[in-house]
Amino acid sequence: MDQKELRKWEAKCIQEEPPKCKAGCPLGVDARAFAQAMAKGDPLAARAVLEKSMPLAAITGRLCEAPCEEFCVRGDLGGAVALGGLERLCIRETQPKGRLLRLPARPRKVAVFGAGPSSLAVAFDLGKKGYPVTMYHVGEAPGGWLRELPEADLPTRVLDEELSRLASLHVTYVSVSVLDSALVEAHPADAVYVGQDDTLDSELLASLGSPDPETFALERPGWFTGALEGRPHRFISAVSQGREAAVSIDRYLQNASLTSSRVFLRKGQTSLFTRTTDIAPVQRVVPADGVAFTREEGLLEAARCIDCQCLECVRHCVYLSEYGGYPKSYARRVFNNSAIVKGGGVHQANTFINSCSLCGQCETLCPNDFSMADMCLDARRLMVRDKRMPPSAHWFALEEMRSAGSEQAAFIRHAPGAPDSAMLFFPGCQLSGIRPDQTLRLYDRLLEIEPRTGIWLDCCGAPAHWAGREDEFADMLGKLKEAFKAMGSPRVVTACSTCLKMFREHLPAFGAESVWTLLAGESLIPGEAREALALSDPCTSRHDAATRGAVHALLEKLGQPLAPLAMSGELTECCGFGGLMDNANPALARKVAEARVAQSEACFLTYCAMCRDQLAKTGKPVLHILDLLFPDLAHGASEPPVGISARRVNRRRLKDALQGRHGSEGMPRQPFEDVSLVYSAEVAELLETRRILEDDLRQVLHKVRNGGKCLVHGEDGRRIVAAELGEVTYWVEFRDVKDGFEVLRAWSHRMRIAGGRI
Amino acid sequence: MSSLTFEPKDMNWVCEPCGEALELGRVELTYLGNSFHVELPVCAKCGAVYIYEELAMGRIFEVEQLLEDK
Repeated sequence: MDQKELRKWEAKCIQEEPPKCKAGCPLGVDARAFAQAMAKGDPLAARAVLEKSMPLAAITGRLCEAPCEEFCVRGDLGGAVALGGLERLCIRETQPKGRLLRLPARPRKVAVFGAGPSSLAVAFDLGKKGYPVTMYHVGEAPGGWLRELPEADLPTRVLDEELSRLASLHVTYVSVSVLDSALVEAHPADAVYVGQDDTLDSELLASLGSPDPETFALERPGWFTGALEGRPHRFISAVSQGREAAVSIDRYLQNASLTSSRVFLRKGQTSLFTRTTDIAPVQRVVPADGVAFTREEGLLEAARCIDCQCLECVRHCVYLSEYGGYPKSYARRVFNNSAIVKGGGVHQANTFINSCSLCGQCETLCPNDFSMADMCLDARRLMVRDKRMPPSAHWFALEEMRSAGSEQAAFIRHAPGAPDSAMLFFPGCQLSGIRPDQTLRLYDRLLEIEPRTGIWLDCCGAPAHWAGREDEFADMLGKLKEAFKAMGSPRVVTACSTCLKMFREHLPAFGAESVWTLLAGESLIPGEAREALALSDPCTSRHDAATRGAVHALLEKLGQPLAPLAMSGELTECCGFGGLMDNANPALARKVAEARVAQSEACFLTYCAMCRDQLAKTGKPVLHILDLLFPDLAHGASEPPVGISARRVNRRRLKDALQGRHGSEGMPRQPFEDVSLVYSAEVAELLETRRILEDDLRQVLHKVRNGGKCLVHGEDGRRIVAAELGEVTYWVEFRDVKDGFEVLRAWSHRMRIAGGRI
Repeated sequence: MSSLTFEPKDMNWVCEPCGEALELGRVELTYLGNSFHVELPVCAKCGAVYIYEELAMGRIFEVEQLLEDK
């Protein structure tokens, strides 16, 4: 990802767009953060939010007409949050933070004519920037019409305190008898502001002309004005116009363009999306005295703030919420990860990038179609190309893929006795590994429908694709294509949603379709009455409405009622295996599965073998659709998942069974395969989590059987043996038992011992 | 890099067929182009190294992960 791509990704995520209230505030106050702080009962933090964007907050907070309320998303759900009332409560309850900070003094001077709210804003903003400001006013003290307000709205004491704070910014007040043209002309300053919200001489007012409506610059260079007649709100619009004029004056005094790269007022415009469908209306709190909120009333009212956020994707995705950010911040994380110079630091986002299930739910939920899948897959490909993909991240899944495509498990043949194939059944390597008996039965059913149905056991290459290994994936696709052609290019029917997606996207010549679609068109005998099941669509079926529809039709024919499951169809969720999440981050994959099964009390049903076992790992009862289709071969919903070793054995046996139908022998066995093993359930669990296969143990122990080196315990005769198998070194602690070995412990590491000293 | 020593709680292992008890010896471990010298249990005669379970699943695993993310 380069800078340009990063910007493109960032622009897609709208989470950092301002909420409506902030976008609608003429001073850009973060009213959301303000209301949230008030709701937490923290008026000091709330005041800090106000002071960050408001000039002279003790005055502004008291008099603000709160135009933000017009934009409040709560509007139609009980009425806008009373932000104006909350501002007044906050200001009343708290004191200013302390001394105003001023930047180092600047040489150029500003003269402000008039001392109404707009002039005070100009003096405040420019004073803070270090410009010496002289403010000319009529009457004894500055403040203009603010001095005419009732004490209840703005106590004179507060006005005077704020004016003395303003003076601390090197703002000098000069009292004059009249604010007229002669006075302005005679000024010694480098820039002039004329505030129209004070008593000006009519001739001066007439001579000013109309300023630019956004920069408030007058035709005469260095002259600015604000608080124009006809502004929507007497007070806050004046302050806002003063602020905009101050921005222009600062630019003018720095000889910069008044408009270039300037962000003008948003006037409520924002692209932040906020879902309100789940938000119940709550009526606006009315102060008991009809005027001002008490502290308790303020807490209640502030709690009505929706805290507008998008987070459409994060709310539903365990992975996205796990890392505490949102796609825009994640884009920066991914960019930074690839920007690290080799050897110059730690790629902290490797696991983050490899943990995405690539399921695509975020893209479907996002109002702007942000796809974490595309971003993470791109990043993985880059890591592979740059040779910095952690070798262990996807290692086991890739080994599994290679094993499923090896001569031990792969098989392709026309139906026994058939000269060719009209159809080719590709069950998918996980179904073959998890449900070999049902796979065979499903093949038999297809043979009834179409006797010229060939069988094809192999892997579709999804793990290589998900791992970002473009070369290996391309090789696999090439081999699959050749095999398909050699079979006469029959239409491919698969029982795996992932295979189907891979074929449709990468091997369109296969014309692949789902076996469930095919079966939905056949007659089916309704099964026994069953409780309603929660149907979890595999994530790879997200954009395949036809197959999902076929599964529903098939279940209807079977008389199977369904329990509601919120995130279904195109919003379905991953089981934790997709994108190789389970390899790169098994703990997160477990969390994902647990969150998924918690969405329904009902027993789950799925039509992806991997989903079945991944979800069943949580202990939740989960059925595969084949359990309903072939009741005599049904597996119990509470049956534990098939272990990693058993899956490999199952694939081999399935191949043997199919070869047997053709009268050919099974695959010749390798010498280590007859090593007999026994071990406890505890060791079985250990092997599963450490991803150590029985065949790995057999190969290591085979070494001992052939008189290889080992360690023997001095007291109890336990032995330990090690062997390097591919990238990994395995260690097995064992005891001899009759005709074999009892495995006591097993462990492995990838680090190598120089000289192979084991 | 100074040499770190790793010793299992139970050192009562004898190398077979050498018949020698294990003792601590200098071993070079390598991963992804990096190498480390450490003291590990080895056979005094043939030099075979013993990487015990706690070390493999603990410190070695951590270092592997660190190097993979480097």
